[in-house]
Amino acid sequence: MSSPFDQVLIGSDVQLTDESELSLLETLDHVLNRGLVIAGEITIAVADVDLIFVGLNVLISSVETANEVLRERERRGIAAVSPAKQAADQ
Amino acid sequence: MSGSEQTKLHLNSHDSAVAVGYYVYCIADAARASEIVESGSPIPIEEGATLELINEKNLGAVVSRVPLATYGEEPLAALLTDGAWTAIRAMRHEAVVEFFAKRTSVVPLRFGTIYLDQSGVEQMLDEKSEQLTEIIHRLDGREEWGVNVYCDRQMLMENISLVSSRLRQMTEEAQQASPGQAYLMHKKIEVLKVDEAKAQVARAVDQIEGKLHDFSDDNVRLRILKVETTENGELKAKFAFLVLRSNFENFRNAAEELAVELSTSGMKIELTGPWPAYNFAAA
Repeated sequence: MSSPFDQVLIGSDVQLTDESELSLLETLDHVLNRGLVIAGEITIAVADVDLIFVGLNVLISSVETANEVLRERERRGIAAVSPAKQAADQ
Repeated sequence: MSGSEQTKLHLNSHDSAVAVGYYVYCIADAARASEIVESGSPIPIEEGATLELINEKNLGAVVSRVPLATYGEEPLAALLTDGAWTAIRAMRHEAVVEFFAKRTSVVPLRFGTIYLDQSGVEQMLDEKSEQLTEIIHRLDGREEWGVNVYCDRQMLMENISLVSSRLRQMTEEAQQASPGQAYLMHKKIEVLKVDEAKAQVARAVDQIEGKLHDFSDDNVRLRILKVETTENGELKAKFAFLVLRSNFENFRNAAEELAVELSTSGMKIELTGPWPAYNFAAA
């Protein structure tokens, strides 16, 4: 596969970070706090999702849960574009 | 079961009155969505259900049926306080939206958009068709990339002392001053260093935003949810950029150049994605 994302992952001066926890957090942030909000005849008011997120932050400290959830989905890699080596050499 | 607020509900095939609602993930062009649904599908928000399309005016809403015993307003509000339950559903929501977003332009909806019946979804598509069509068109061929900016405080502070001529001069003066004077001067230097560090981080963040802006169609600065201290340092800024797929290489190269340039001052840049365009779905 040659998605742009794979290219990020294999780039030589790109390092992988410990992605699991951040990835989960990023995903929850996107899904719960962003995305088009459609008002109208829906059963749950999504306007207060911020409140939910506060609770989730607490939960996410539980790595076990995070990992369990992560296994559910295609892993989304996260690439840190940080040439740490070069920086340390100077 | 309270059963108090049942309206027009779809029953399942077994005659038992299991009230269902329609959980909506995203909206896409109806024809494209139909092809994609046929090509296979990820797990919907509740296992055992299947993804369906509700079409209206060339638009297709990707939905799956959910039991209202779980997804009705009250039971759902209670379940949402269970972080594990919510996290798993949020992941499934994301997996479905991603599945479509990889294959066509979609309007990603926020978690928890649930209609009591099919006609509600149709009506929404009808009423908002112009707006939704515009968004789908605008997002076509584009993906969202997250850019997180971190700062290693120690490295930043060390670097500040080196690059600021004023600080360097003061440090030299302090070395030659009497112990009492030197003490006061060092206090002053510390304060200056903190100010200078703040200013430098702000400049770096602006620089990142400005440069990556040139390689994207749109960008937003996001609020930082909590002070995250990771192995990369402290999270200083979060952005989302809407990037044309065909321009991603350039975007990424620009990010890498920035990363190299800013690394000496302890700044790190992290790319996440590609995401469905959650941050650019508003009309």
